[in-house]
Amino acid sequence: MEDPTVATTTSSWRARTATWIEERYELGALTRFIDEKRVPVHRHSLWYYLGGMTLFLFIVQVVSGIMLILYYRPSAAEAYESVQYIVTRVEFGWLVRNVHSWSANLLVAVAMLHMASVIYLRAYRKPRELTWVSGAFLLFLMLGFGFSGYLLPWNELAFFATKVGTGIPGALPIIGHDIVRLLRGGDEVTGATLSRFFGLHVAILPAITTVLVGLHLLFVQQQGMSVPPSVEANVKKGERLRETRFFPNFVLHDAVGWYLALALLAALAAFSPWELGKKADPFASVPAGIRPEWYFLAAFQALKFLPSHVLGIEGENVGVIGFGALAAVFVVLPFLDRGASYGRPGRWVSWLATILFAFLAVMTVLGYILA
Amino acid sequence: MRTTTSRPMLALGPLALLLCLAGGEARAWAQTPAATSAPNGCVTCHEKSSGAAAHAVTAFATDIHKARGFTCVDCHGGDAAATDAKAAKDPAKGYKGVLRGAAGVQACATCHSDANFMRKFSPSQRIDQAAEYATSVHGQRLAGGDTKVATCASCHTAHGIRAVRDAKSSVYPTNVAATCASCHADATHMAGYTKADGTPLPTTQLAEYRTSVHFAAMTKKNDLSAPTCNDCHGNHGARPPGAEAFVNVCGTCHTTFATKMQASAHAAVFDRGCVECHSNHAVQPPSDTLLGMGEGALCVTCHGDDNGAAAATSMRAAIDSLRDSVEQSSTLLERLHASGMEVGAQQLALREARSHLTLSRAEVHSLNAEAVTRVVGEGLAVTKGLDEAGAAATAELRFRRQGLAASMVAILLVVVALLAKIKQIERRQAEQDGPPAP
Repeated sequence: MEDPTVATTTSSWRARTATWIEERYELGALTRFIDEKRVPVHRHSLWYYLGGMTLFLFIVQVVSGIMLILYYRPSAAEAYESVQYIVTRVEFGWLVRNVHSWSANLLVAVAMLHMASVIYLRAYRKPRELTWVSGAFLLFLMLGFGFSGYLLPWNELAFFATKVGTGIPGALPIIGHDIVRLLRGGDEVTGATLSRFFGLHVAILPAITTVLVGLHLLFVQQQGMSVPPSVEANVKKGERLRETRFFPNFVLHDAVGWYLALALLAALAAFSPWELGKKADPFASVPAGIRPEWYFLAAFQALKFLPSHVLGIEGENVGVIGFGALAAVFVVLPFLDRGASYGRPGRWVSWLATILFAFLAVMTVLGYILA
Repeated sequence: MRTTTSRPMLALGPLALLLCLAGGEARAWAQTPAATSAPNGCVTCHEKSSGAAAHAVTAFATDIHKARGFTCVDCHGGDAAATDAKAAKDPAKGYKGVLRGAAGVQACATCHSDANFMRKFSPSQRIDQAAEYATSVHGQRLAGGDTKVATCASCHTAHGIRAVRDAKSSVYPTNVAATCASCHADATHMAGYTKADGTPLPTTQLAEYRTSVHFAAMTKKNDLSAPTCNDCHGNHGARPPGAEAFVNVCGTCHTTFATKMQASAHAAVFDRGCVECHSNHAVQPPSDTLLGMGEGALCVTCHGDDNGAAAATSMRAAIDSLRDSVEQSSTLLERLHASGMEVGAQQLALREARSHLTLSRAEVHSLNAEAVTRVVGEGLAVTKGLDEAGAAATAELRFRRQGLAASMVAILLVVVALLAKIKQIERRQAEQDGPPAP
């Protein structure tokens, strides 16, 4: 039986602490906001959890990345050996490195799924245009993390894939060569490239991402979850859509998903560790089967399929500019689909998205088959 | 095949004087090759004819000499500008007719033995082919009046000559054996030729060579440095290497083996050096089976119950132990690598162990069982370290799997607890909110 004296002591201690904090920081408004926050419940509610899952994987990246920095050495002479040291000598280093690698890939995949769900459910419509724009830039940042992080182990595959990847902007007229030099820190992929990719990966990109994630979460919290137009249309007049509390109900559901993701990461790290491969040798011949990470494979393959000239313009130029234009359309999508804001979502968006995703999937598969 | 910068053009030692006498006149026209744009009366007539002359016109279209501006008269003499055959083939204009035997060799040597002349076309090309040819069995027999022997055109063709580096050339490394075999595998052509001991010269060399490790290296691995006929026999100076030279010939490439063999007890008793165990044209891939006193071993051919037999048995046992150990370590590392363990450093060490295995096999040629055992011991020390590292990695892998299982159970318990908590919260909230409004 609980001792009433102990219970009273504990509760008075908690109350005193709460009062102490409240007197200084006035968090009452925040706690009231959390207490009153509700999340709509409907047949598409499951998609709401993808955003939280993306955030969880990002946190895993940050934590595991910080742990890796303790041992990683960003130079062409030591990078490979330091990663080898991490996975063979450092206690649980193999786990941290594999979790970091797998989590990076899962993060990009979940972020893409999250964006796809937002497109199909038209969650980007007014008033959430800026939530979408910040999310789109966050996706680009995740791809940037992937691209810069891929080179860091300084292995053969990453070296040549980076050589190919950083060379692609070189096809652009006038500024192409300068972009390549900016990316590589010279005309070739060298230790200088590794240094700047490391700086990009652990300082520049995280700084920008932190600001954007903060903004993105602020928008989401302030505006709440979007209800799909198809669900809204079925709500009868005078009726209210069923809701659940954000805290603790939704957060606990989120936590279940996060734990399952953690289990998946641990299983992948233990059963399918990320291979380190051979150390990069700039003077070696290019090994067969060089290809970028899966999330760049579709673009890479599409560029390979382009003819040398399209309408008199160099094929690679057309490809690079085409993908750039596609990215721009992706960012401003909410402003193009104005009808969605007034309950008239354009079906063309779903069709275009489906065609685009099918194209990317086919190109990715071909990239693996033809490599 | 180690190609020489030039291959060709043969000369006759006994004809050296004739070459010198003829050289001045021949060079006079050779140094000024006829312009390719000028009408060539030879072609005008011979391309309409049939037989060898017409074939010569066709073949010459791809000849390297044509590409360099030479024409028919540069070798055959005569007057290409003449409008009738008699004037064109006027001996007074240097017409030599068909160049057979010594005349062909002389015609080639006129330019190819002239350093000043060759410098203008191919400065790095050798000019001693004719001199070498004179030392060859072919050259010496030709000097003795045997017109069946090979001359320049026999190997290089007469009118379709290509650079040695041209894959279509009859003397390109992959084509040399077939070129030599066009005579040496022809029993009719070779009838009457004998070896030094009087036995008939065999015609099975090509068939044997095609079963060899050298032929496999050249044709299956595209290794153009693999030996073919001329690498052991010489090309322009072709002749059997001779019993005393076998070790040197094989040692051109197999230096370590040859050095150890020459220092061994076998050097004094093996008449044919390396060939005694490995044969000549049909050299097979070496195998550990050849060593020792068991089935398939070669040592048993000469040795019985003697020190040699004991040494062979001992060397074989040592090599077998290292080979088995290397294979065992290799299997272990492959399994660990497939399981995702990082074993890069161990794989590097495995290469070192393999090197010791190779070194121990080379050491066998010294016939020194102690030396072989020492090298094997060094290799076994490496594999021992690998086995220890492999065992540690296997234990680490087991630990990871067990750790994963434990963490999975823990995560599952937390998930179940969370789901239970959610259910409890929802039930409490439903009670607080009361039944839904009708």
